[in-house]
Amino acid sequence: MEKKIGLYICKGCGIADAVDVDKLVKNVKKMPVCKTHDVLCSAEGLQMIKGDMTSEGVNTMVIAACSPRVKFAEFDFPGSLVERANIREFVAWTLEAKSAQAQSAAEDYINMGIVKAQKADVPQPNVLADLNSTILVIGGGIAGMNAALAGANAGQKVVLVEKDAQLGGFVNKLYKKIPTASVFQEPLIVDTEIEKTVKDVEGNGNIKVYKSTTVAKTDGQPGLYDVTLSNGEQLKIGAIVMATGWKPYDATKLGHLGYGLSKNVVTNIELEEIAKKNNGKIVRPSDGKEATKVAFVQCAGQRDPNHLPYCSGMCCASSLKQAKYVRANKDAVAMVFYKDIRTPGRTELYYKEAQNDPGVMLSKADVTGVSDAGNGNLYVEMENTLFGTKTGEKVKVEADLVVLATGMVPTTRGPQEYLDGLTKAAGGGDDSKKAYLEQTPKPDYILNLGYRQGPEIPSLEGAAGFADSNFICFQYETRRTGIYAAGSVHQPMNMAEAIEDGQGAAFKAIQAMDHVARGVAVHPRAWDMTYPDPLLIKCTACKRCTEECPFGAIDEDEKGIPKYNINRCRRCGTCMGACPERIVSFKDYSVDIVGSMLKAIDVPDDEDETRVVCLVCENDSYPALDTAAINRKQLHPGVRFVSMRCLGGMNLVWVADALSKGIDGMLLLGCKYGENYQCHFVKGSELANTRFSKVSETLNRLQLESERVGLMQIAINEYDKLPEMINDFVEKVKEFGPNPFKSM
Amino acid sequence: MSDATVIKPDLQFVSEIIKGGGESLKKCYQCATCSVVCNVTPEGNPFPRKEMVLAQWGQKDKLITSPDVWLCHQCSDCTAYCPRGAKPGEVLNAIRKQSIKEVAMIPLFAKIATDPKLIWLLFAIPMALFYIVLTVLGNTNIDVVRAKSSHMAYHNFMPVPAIDVIFILTAAFAATSAFVGIKRLWAGMQANAGTAQGSGSPFGHILPAVTTILAHKKFADCNVSRLRQWGHLLLFYAFAGLAIVTTWAIVYLYGHEFLGIKAFGPFNFGEAPYPMTDPMKMLALASSVAFAIGFTIILLNRLGNAGKAGMGSYFDWIFLLIVIGVGATGMLSWGLRLADVTMGYWVYYFHLVFVWSLFAYAPYSKFAHLFYRTTAMVFAKYTGRDKK
Repeated sequence: MEKKIGLYICKGCGIADAVDVDKLVKNVKKMPVCKTHDVLCSAEGLQMIKGDMTSEGVNTMVIAACSPRVKFAEFDFPGSLVERANIREFVAWTLEAKSAQAQSAAEDYINMGIVKAQKADVPQPNVLADLNSTILVIGGGIAGMNAALAGANAGQKVVLVEKDAQLGGFVNKLYKKIPTASVFQEPLIVDTEIEKTVKDVEGNGNIKVYKSTTVAKTDGQPGLYDVTLSNGEQLKIGAIVMATGWKPYDATKLGHLGYGLSKNVVTNIELEEIAKKNNGKIVRPSDGKEATKVAFVQCAGQRDPNHLPYCSGMCCASSLKQAKYVRANKDAVAMVFYKDIRTPGRTELYYKEAQNDPGVMLSKADVTGVSDAGNGNLYVEMENTLFGTKTGEKVKVEADLVVLATGMVPTTRGPQEYLDGLTKAAGGGDDSKKAYLEQTPKPDYILNLGYRQGPEIPSLEGAAGFADSNFICFQYETRRTGIYAAGSVHQPMNMAEAIEDGQGAAFKAIQAMDHVARGVAVHPRAWDMTYPDPLLIKCTACKRCTEECPFGAIDEDEKGIPKYNINRCRRCGTCMGACPERIVSFKDYSVDIVGSMLKAIDVPDDEDETRVVCLVCENDSYPALDTAAINRKQLHPGVRFVSMRCLGGMNLVWVADALSKGIDGMLLLGCKYGENYQCHFVKGSELANTRFSKVSETLNRLQLESERVGLMQIAINEYDKLPEMINDFVEKVKEFGPNPFKSM
Repeated sequence: MSDATVIKPDLQFVSEIIKGGGESLKKCYQCATCSVVCNVTPEGNPFPRKEMVLAQWGQKDKLITSPDVWLCHQCSDCTAYCPRGAKPGEVLNAIRKQSIKEVAMIPLFAKIATDPKLIWLLFAIPMALFYIVLTVLGNTNIDVVRAKSSHMAYHNFMPVPAIDVIFILTAAFAATSAFVGIKRLWAGMQANAGTAQGSGSPFGHILPAVTTILAHKKFADCNVSRLRQWGHLLLFYAFAGLAIVTTWAIVYLYGHEFLGIKAFGPFNFGEAPYPMTDPMKMLALASSVAFAIGFTIILLNRLGNAGKAGMGSYFDWIFLLIVIGVGATGMLSWGLRLADVTMGYWVYYFHLVFVWSLFAYAPYSKFAHLFYRTTAMVFAKYTGRDKK
């Protein structure tokens, strides 16, 4: 397609007050069509552009107006390439009006936009052939069954695979459940009625159920999975919901709380078994006598760095439920010792109701131990209780049964730990790897992925074995596109939450299949038709892209040549940043495009005029800049912002591109990383930082100080700190003096 | 861990508190807003947060002889600010009721005074007592009584010596009961105080405690029921005035009868009734007015604050009923006597019933706060508990 570029400059929203628009038209690169308008996003302004499309044949537009994050629908011209130059937020709202600096900034942004429009191509969707839209649900517990039902009721074919001989999962072990109604009143314990859900699933024509079956192999990508079951059957699958649930924490590690000391110290799960076996009567394992003084120790091995660092969310309400089991005998007391009662959402109302029972007694306490009190009874020893009148007073309470509220361990944790251990062992050489494989029991795999990056969902710092990728912004997403976590592999949760979670994951699975059928990214750039298109002839099989891809989208053939599975890809461009040969490009995003944009920045000869390029992550930092602009925070006039999909796409050659042209410094603004990371692509800013550690080589070659480049982490809400952070960096760069390449 | 305190939950005691006006007890989730808003509590280890958890676990021994339970003046600031509607003020009141029952010399009497099911017995005892006396005296026919003298006089109906014998005995019973109760409470408070025992003589602390009470200083710290300070103050001095009047009447009567003192100036030594110009009569009238106003304030305060402070329990209302019974029958019988309505004799009969109830049940009803709160305040001063 022959490109015909139209440049349209908006005068509205204060742009014409801040810069001389006529002068802009004169000074920027000359385009075949160049027009201004008072309010470009108005019907009249848009009509003007559309008119040019028909009469002049304009098919590529550079819109010099507001941030690309707003007015997306207005400036969307299907089939055309649209590039937005943000002169409203980055110039009119943040620089001194009518100043020479504002004028030159606007010129730079427009020129960069023009260069990008010249270099980019109109994206075309890449829809792979023979897509399938069956959902595979792994795990027939409450989350999995509700996922299956939600998918089936939405009209999708669903395959449900359960490893046990019957559906129901963990709920089968429970004596009673907390009512799922929104108002709680006696009785506070009701039948689980899981058999109703099982019946619904088994009677649903859209759901095919495999019991006593597991997944032996998963190959392919969203829309094109080839799944082999343990019974040898092969299935074509579109997306996967992983709802394999949890296991109770190993109570034998809780000796300090008396587990193993006496038979009368049991876990909350064992109490369910006792209640179920004796039809509600709570009897002591040691002598079969009815327990009438039952102590519940909350957070047993939870919120404890030595055991589970997190809160399982469901145990407080569960213990209150079990307290009601105890209270079926009106003379019995249930004593609950907690760190804090954590009953989120509607379970807070359950807590209130349960607490109203005079025989359900609660106190905050740090339980320090459990000791023998004779006759099978036990003392629960504690401090920091609410009873004490003296600081540090130790207290003990006699109980005839002690229940430890142990937490949830996701079934994904075992495989993750095993595989991490394997990676570590493999780093120590073949012998060490062999020894590891021989000595370490292999846990049950869930997915058995045929992915280059490993057979299971990879572990994530701070996720404690849960299958998550970014729980702040993206529920259900794992680090494997098209595979959604539901229920307690996703987060610790209770039954009511698991029902919703299963449904939500099923809808995400449907969404994923819809997106791949339309040839757009699944997530989070859900509109994006571009995709990485490597020029494989020049590939050196260095494997950097296959290793660094945060989502395991890239496999390798036996020669190490990468195979890009587009439907797994999230379009972050990490592969583009990783590639030393710079062969990975998107239609509108490549090493050359960004490099050329940087070169389009005018560097004045005046040595007092500092120029700093700021590469900005589009997910957090760019919105933060926009917010700073909306709040009319003044930004440094020497800085030019360039949007990045993710700092993971940062290619070191850009440093040379910019600094060899006389740019004084380069700043990367990315998301927070490490624990509580906020990167949409998991490790983008962290990767950029790692790559930056090697930047001194480049800069030394140019005989420049490595401090001229820097990386800052910023959260989306820290817009108020941004101007000062940027100013500080520019001042630091200034101290090194002007870039000697300036006048060359 | 041999040094650890053993906590034994007592479901029975929890139920008693809940039944006795503390039905909101279990709502408490220990946020301690109550202890923060309370202006009456000492700053160190403040109440009523800790009393709430101890009550939830039925820690009877720690509660029934706790000075803090009695230091509470039931301002109800805690109840008004409680985010969960646990009404600590009401719960502490219910605990005080248990405390009265537990330290009582005759527990049965405490039961009669506080159990709504036994309200009939509470009044049946004095009604029977006075009716028997009237029968013995042959005064059950009021028309016959009326005919005894030219104007209505209640001593024709119930002679003063009979009243004196009954009430001196009743007062002695009440005093003994109070003494025993105070002793038990004191011993319990000492046992619970651990290392925070006082030194020297506790008697030196009585005067400062009484001064505080006379000035109603503690009530001034209340917010929600601020008006109650004045209501209680008026009622308190009305009772004091009426007590003086009663003593005064005895002095008039026996001073004349046994010591031969004659009436002089405005002082009408001799037999009742006395003219309105007598200072004793004036004090009686002033006390009655104070009583009426004070009681009205208390009642309005209670009803007006019910939303914030709670409606109270039988324990409160039976006490208020006796108090209003004393005042109403007292004033009514006075009015009826002046109006020469014979029915006044029976009103006077009920006046005696109410006054007797007030006296006899004093250490067993809410009136016991007079003794036990004073005791707790002395104890708090003695042990340094009241220091801010």
